[in-house]
Amino acid sequence: MSAQLVIETQALCKVFGNQKALDDVSLAVAPGAIGLLGPNGAGKTTFMKCLLQLQPISSGSAKLLGREVGAEGREIRKRVGYTPELDCHIPGMAGCEYVTYCAQLCGLPFQAARQRAHEMLDFVGMGQERYRKIDTYSTGMKQRLKLAQAIVHDPEIVFLDEPANGLDPKGQRQILELVQSLWRAYGITVVLSSHMLHDVEQICEQIIIIARGRVLVHDSLANLKARRRGSAEVVVPGRHEELEAACARRQWPCELLPNGHVKVEHRSESLNPLLNLLHEIQLAPLEIIPSPNALEETFVQALEISHAAA
Amino acid sequence: MPLHDINYKHWEGIHLGVWSRRRAIAWNGLTACLQVRWMMNLVVLCWGLGLAAAAVLFLVGQLLVTDSAVGRWISTLNPNLVMFANLLAGWLKNHPEISVGTTQNVLFYFMGTWLMRVSIFALGPIIPLLITRDLACNAIVIYSSKAVTRGDYLLGKFATAFGFLTLTWLGPVCAAWFLGNLLAPDWTFFWHARLALENILIYGLSSMAVLSLLALGVSALSANEKTTTAFWFMWWILGGVIAPIAQHTRPWLSHLGFGFNLNQIALHTFRVADNIKSAADSIPILGAMLENLRPATRSALETPHLAGTCLALLVMLSLAAWAVHLRVKPE
Repeated sequence: MSAQLVIETQALCKVFGNQKALDDVSLAVAPGAIGLLGPNGAGKTTFMKCLLQLQPISSGSAKLLGREVGAEGREIRKRVGYTPELDCHIPGMAGCEYVTYCAQLCGLPFQAARQRAHEMLDFVGMGQERYRKIDTYSTGMKQRLKLAQAIVHDPEIVFLDEPANGLDPKGQRQILELVQSLWRAYGITVVLSSHMLHDVEQICEQIIIIARGRVLVHDSLANLKARRRGSAEVVVPGRHEELEAACARRQWPCELLPNGHVKVEHRSESLNPLLNLLHEIQLAPLEIIPSPNALEETFVQALEISHAAA
Repeated sequence: MPLHDINYKHWEGIHLGVWSRRRAIAWNGLTACLQVRWMMNLVVLCWGLGLAAAAVLFLVGQLLVTDSAVGRWISTLNPNLVMFANLLAGWLKNHPEISVGTTQNVLFYFMGTWLMRVSIFALGPIIPLLITRDLACNAIVIYSSKAVTRGDYLLGKFATAFGFLTLTWLGPVCAAWFLGNLLAPDWTFFWHARLALENILIYGLSSMAVLSLLALGVSALSANEKTTTAFWFMWWILGGVIAPIAQHTRPWLSHLGFGFNLNQIALHTFRVADNIKSAADSIPILGAMLENLRPATRSALETPHLAGTCLALLVMLSLAAWAVHLRVKPE
């Protein structure tokens, strides 16, 4: 089982001064497209940096690709790619020189590095601008370049920290499509860190939601989407007493909300029991709003935790 | 339809070892150094000086044999000089360790210390390319996320500075020694000049290592290119200004500049004063000539403060290591 896991952490903690950036994070993550979701400052970047040994771990242990983090730095990073959130590059170089150099830093011979660099620049959709100095690049080009340098050495896992930041909607879509293809078409495990639920939903199969350094949930996207609390808001045209009475007969708690909607706890993942009840009392609702799925709910919970802390 | 395949391809080659990655860092740095404006000209100037020194050695060598082309040419200018040339030839025969060994030792002391100043000057614009720019562009994060450690990164950067100094100092000086003796009238010149080469290597390698480490330390001080370059020049120039003044009042202050300390290493290595004294003792006419040396010059050549120099360099290197340790981090 352990051999199949790409990330394993046990009670991982990272402390900055008296603030806990990661608090007792224990995870076992299988290969795939993994979404690391959480509001800004939740600890997503710190988690990735601890795994990549860019930050020392305060306590606990972590394994990446089956190797102990902290003991086998070079060997791990040879098989890992990383695109930082910040604008990072090696100055004074043209795009293709930079990607070639990054490949050499991972141990590729110069000729192979140069060839791979051009292939990866083609893959991320960079044209002749690859021969220009990086300092002259737009944000979109820099994001593409960051992706190219992260995959130039053919890693087994790639960590992407907010790869679509600062891009227009079209650029975002293109980058996310490229990222999506890394796992689906080429089998490279992707860990995508984002504070945008929509981006992660689009690409990832596994979701890890973090808030204030703690993991709130780790499950597959399908499971999270299927899981709902058994409640719904029913919009009825003035006959809410009738609905409340019917709910009471079935012992379903219900409550009239200030906006006139009736919130019914029907205790089922499906809306069918509620629809049957409405049919029985001959009440045609104007609208039924199901409770949010677990993914949305946990994400909102993460946002609330983050706001409360702020 | 694209002309070539733009799909992702897996790579199945063999990864090279860690030394190739260190070499890549060093080579990339060295290439960037030579792209700095005027730097190539400066390197060419250093090699030109090396060739000039080789030419001087050639001429000196020619003066030490009676039937050399240069000797014949001199006799056409002034027949009395033939007598002088014969005197030198006799000198060579009787005292080769002085005529070749000491001459080359003294020549390479002056050439070495002078060229070291040129190299220190050339290092100024190079300093930002070592670590400063990487700090400014967050490049340390990129290096740290690749298959290299902080030690590999620093080793590569050290090799960049050391390689650059090899181009401006060690290369030209060694080339001068080799060419000068290759063009000498006798193969035994190589043997008699071996001490000069030994001194060149000891002084050169130790000074280059010290300068490279100090350059790394200064480069790590700030993410601003102008600041680190200005700091380097200020330190060098102020040290040079303070040293001669402080020697008469507070001698320890002289050690604040790295240039003074490197000069002390040169004096200790080449032992110029001892060479001059032994030459003067062996050849009375030379002794009479050396009597005319200014006392200040004689004193400067005679007293290398080695203990103070070692202590000062140790402190400087510790501070440089501390600066690098504090600053070269992914965050």
